[in-house]
Amino acid sequence: MISEMNFLERIIYILQQYGVSYLKGAGTTLAIAVVSTIVGCIIGFLVGIVQTIPVDKKKDNAAKRGLLGLVKLILKAYVELFRGTPMIVQAVFIYYGMSQVFHIQLGMWTSAFLIVSINTGAYMAESVRGGIISVDPGQMEGAKAIGMTHVQAMANVILPQAFRNIMPQIGNNLIINIKDTSVLSVISIVDLFFVHKSVSGALYTYFESATIVMVIYLTMTLAASKLLALWEKKLDGDDNYELVDVMGIGDQLRKAKGDMK
Amino acid sequence: MNKKDVILEVSHLGKSFGNHEVLRDIDFQVRKGDVVSIIGASGSGKSTMLRCINLLETPGSGQILFHEKDITDPKINVPAYREKVGMVFQNFNLFNNMTVLENCMVGQIKVAKKDKETAGAQALKFLQKVGMEQFINAKPRQLSGGQKQRVAIARALAMEPEILLFDEPTSALDPQMVGEVLNVMETLAKEGLTMLVVTHEMAFARDVSSHVIFMANGVIAEEGTPEDIFVHPRQQQTKEFLSRFRNS
Repeated sequence: MISEMNFLERIIYILQQYGVSYLKGAGTTLAIAVVSTIVGCIIGFLVGIVQTIPVDKKKDNAAKRGLLGLVKLILKAYVELFRGTPMIVQAVFIYYGMSQVFHIQLGMWTSAFLIVSINTGAYMAESVRGGIISVDPGQMEGAKAIGMTHVQAMANVILPQAFRNIMPQIGNNLIINIKDTSVLSVISIVDLFFVHKSVSGALYTYFESATIVMVIYLTMTLAASKLLALWEKKLDGDDNYELVDVMGIGDQLRKAKGDMK
Repeated sequence: MNKKDVILEVSHLGKSFGNHEVLRDIDFQVRKGDVVSIIGASGSGKSTMLRCINLLETPGSGQILFHEKDITDPKINVPAYREKVGMVFQNFNLFNNMTVLENCMVGQIKVAKKDKETAGAQALKFLQKVGMEQFINAKPRQLSGGQKQRVAIARALAMEPEILLFDEPTSALDPQMVGEVLNVMETLAKEGLTMLVVTHEMAFARDVSSHVIFMANGVIAEEGTPEDIFVHPRQQQTKEFLSRFRNS
């Protein structure tokens, strides 16, 4: 009977039969993509921050410099390894390798979040490093000149600006992750692509199912980029500012100070 | 003047970038309330010297004594020292991610550990002094160069430094904005703030400072009162440098 339908009718039929499955798959895809992008960003920031710690040959002793050098080397290896190999291979390697070699049963969900997170982390590490070094060096000097330590200057001045600089990169990574979680079907994660494979396998409706899946992926990525654009705009703040009646503010501050006493 | 009044004493300061020697055997003192102007051609080492004093450049040789304590000692607590020595930059270096008010508060809160109300009141006091109190909600990108520099001065003053270093504070400004910044600096000088000013503004050096240092090729070529330097210069190179400014 499905063979007698036209294209549109088939799509409607598939949606009636499997609509919920598609939505669940899309939910899984979105959950893995969003969580892993956030975790990946945290990893990326940590790695990027460590990579940009300055070394003072005069003040730091050899042990500290050696340790920092070693940590930087390990982090560099991590970045190169995960940027330089396909995620689909990493998924198989970690999911099966962990249980066979180390006898650790990670479970496919843990594996999925782990793989996408550390992958994103590897890409974000370089973006964060770039974001940090693209902040005007004068900002760091200005912070140091009023007595801030490296950590204080990073936390209050450099990282907020670096974060703003790499917002487009974070958006990029989220969109890539929404799409690339499809490779996780290789470890049996029931994401949107897995649903597509099941449905098209059951009904032999590859084109119709693919059309539905394309539309869902595109909807998710467009929504993601729109939301991130709004967030960027919010971070930039208002282009206008109000001139302030200072006496009013001064009175308020004095009053607030008086109240504290 | 007794020895206690000396805030800063630079002795035999030297600095090289690779095999290029930019500072050689620099000696001078700054006493409380002094306004010292450092003049000289571009590339004479003025800015490098100022940056060495704030340890933004590592001094190569010699000593910099702050209240008789050598700050070139690797064991010195650099952030704590910088808290007492303010710096105003040619390019302002206001924090782009903060408003004018936050720029003047962040150091007080994070470094001096003051509470928000005290820091806010203090920030406002100095913003009023530089005439920028109306702009507390503006971001640096919304200000003109002269306005930025006045905020930068307020930010430095809010830390209540014992000495304030100015690194060519008007060199990045349009001519009509130079005046507003120089006026603020002149007021500060009259109020007794200790200042060390690298500048190309000869009128400021002549009329406002108590002491003038002329640098050439990485050394102090001549120093003295403004009258010594501007009216009775002894060195030929000082005369040549100043005549170029008079003719322009």
